[in-house]
Amino acid sequence: MTEFLFFLEVVVAGLLAGTMYSLVALGFVLIYKASSTFNFAQGAMVFFAVLAFVGFMELGLPFVVAFFVTILLMGLVGFCTERLVLNPLMNQSEDTLLMATIGLGFVLEGLAQAAWGVEVRRLDLGIGDFPIPWIIDTTGLFISALDLTAGLVAAILIVGLALIFKYTKMGLGLRAVADDPGAASSIGIPLGNIMLLVWTAAGIVALVAGMMWGARAGVQFALVDLALKALPVLIIGGFSSIPGAIVGGLIIGASEKVLEVYVGPYFGGAIEGWAPYVLAIFFLLWRPEGLFGEKIIRRV
Amino acid sequence: MNANSDNILEIDRIEVLYDNVIAALHDVSLNVPRGKIVALLGGNGAGKSTTLKAISTMLAAERGVVTKGSITYDGIPVRGQNPAEMVGLGMVQVLEGRRCFGHLTVEENIIAGAFSRKLSKADIRDELDKIYGYFRRLRERRKSQAGFTSGGEQQMVAVARAMMAKPKMLLLDEPSMGLAPQLVAEIFNIVKELNQKEGVSILLAEQNTNIALRNADYGYIIETGHVMLHGTAKSLLSDEKVKDLYLGISKEGRKNFRDVLRKESAVHPDLHHE
Repeated sequence: MTEFLFFLEVVVAGLLAGTMYSLVALGFVLIYKASSTFNFAQGAMVFFAVLAFVGFMELGLPFVVAFFVTILLMGLVGFCTERLVLNPLMNQSEDTLLMATIGLGFVLEGLAQAAWGVEVRRLDLGIGDFPIPWIIDTTGLFISALDLTAGLVAAILIVGLALIFKYTKMGLGLRAVADDPGAASSIGIPLGNIMLLVWTAAGIVALVAGMMWGARAGVQFALVDLALKALPVLIIGGFSSIPGAIVGGLIIGASEKVLEVYVGPYFGGAIEGWAPYVLAIFFLLWRPEGLFGEKIIRRV
Repeated sequence: MNANSDNILEIDRIEVLYDNVIAALHDVSLNVPRGKIVALLGGNGAGKSTTLKAISTMLAAERGVVTKGSITYDGIPVRGQNPAEMVGLGMVQVLEGRRCFGHLTVEENIIAGAFSRKLSKADIRDELDKIYGYFRRLRERRKSQAGFTSGGEQQMVAVARAMMAKPKMLLLDEPSMGLAPQLVAEIFNIVKELNQKEGVSILLAEQNTNIALRNADYGYIIETGHVMLHGTAKSLLSDEKVKDLYLGISKEGRKNFRDVLRKESAVHPDLHHE
């Protein structure tokens, strides 16, 4: 029984940690949907956003004010990206855009460090990264309060975004642009405004993801690389699917913990770092568009 | 030129270059009278699509530029506008190859056409009802994913979507492409109905010369970026050279328009050679 309880605990902890990956992956999905580009700058956006947030807090702004000021800042980043990077590169190949996002990543990393310095900062959200007593009492499971919060926040973001995409005019415009930018532009959907919206949304998602990860691991440059963990998540879930980002994150989270605990010892431990990539390779062989990726609809 | 002119669209001797070097149009002039259907005819690569894209300002997306001449729509010079602004002015292009939003439903596709207008939910319902009145087939298919509908239905979605923007002028690029003859006829009937009941002026690029001229008021024939011949649809239909080259009613093999014109200098009174 304790064996099984331990297994369950590993799985639940993995699933909740997985939602943290989902949060990062969500930012990638938003931009991929709108411009078919893998946004290499997403990791830098996570770092930039949360560093700015912590910086504003250090300047003495209250939590909520700092949060909204950072959202405005990410809107400004989205605006500048649209004007200075995307607009001049309109109608260029997707590879060109991909390279541009790598450059954008360097710029954001540099700007963030120039403005706020390079030392690791603590971020206290008021939510501890330790097990919740009443869950231990009632079920015997050790589940971190931070993990649980991240799970809830991810769920709210997903549902919110899904509703916006399905039922608002801007959401319809975004889905139209995602399908065929040329046709969207021919019926008067302004591509620039849609891009601005998407990049701002991705910036907000980056901020939320950064806050969760920052609270766990400290606000530091390593957050940029951590975002790369989203890559296997996206390969498994599908680059263009929001539910895919969630399910992909959960699969990666749970499987990496289970593999670490039960298989890790045979490899000398610490397989968490690379096991997700192995899993991703199997997915590429079996189902390259991912679990939820949009199959290309083609009439023959 | 003023807005009260009888022509909703006036193109004056335009030249178009792609990538600054490749000339797609050399010298094209044409007029679309208000409330009429004008057919732009010619084979592959003649410059039909390029002409339409020059008008809707979608050329820039393909690195094309109008280097000479002018295009005036409803009294306004088209130069310097972008596609969204042209839609705002009431000019909508239906692109070649239908280009539906495959992952959206038929109805979502049509509603997306109203993006440029500020409409309430109730207004959108009214407009949809009106549109379904013309495209009856689409009402049954409205919940289907557009990517899985038939080619004819997709063409209807594309035209219906454009009509949602409440255009004064439609540019249709090869609506008959890849469709069965009875579907082509059905679509042309709808186009004609839209023209008559909604008063939409239409410029229609087509390779299917026969059906285009049967439904149009006026026709232009272009070849390698030049207007070769123009006249009323009726006169073009009965013109021997057009019959020979474009309607496939020829006793000899295929010929080039330029060769025919060189041989024959006799001109039909209604026809104007450039």
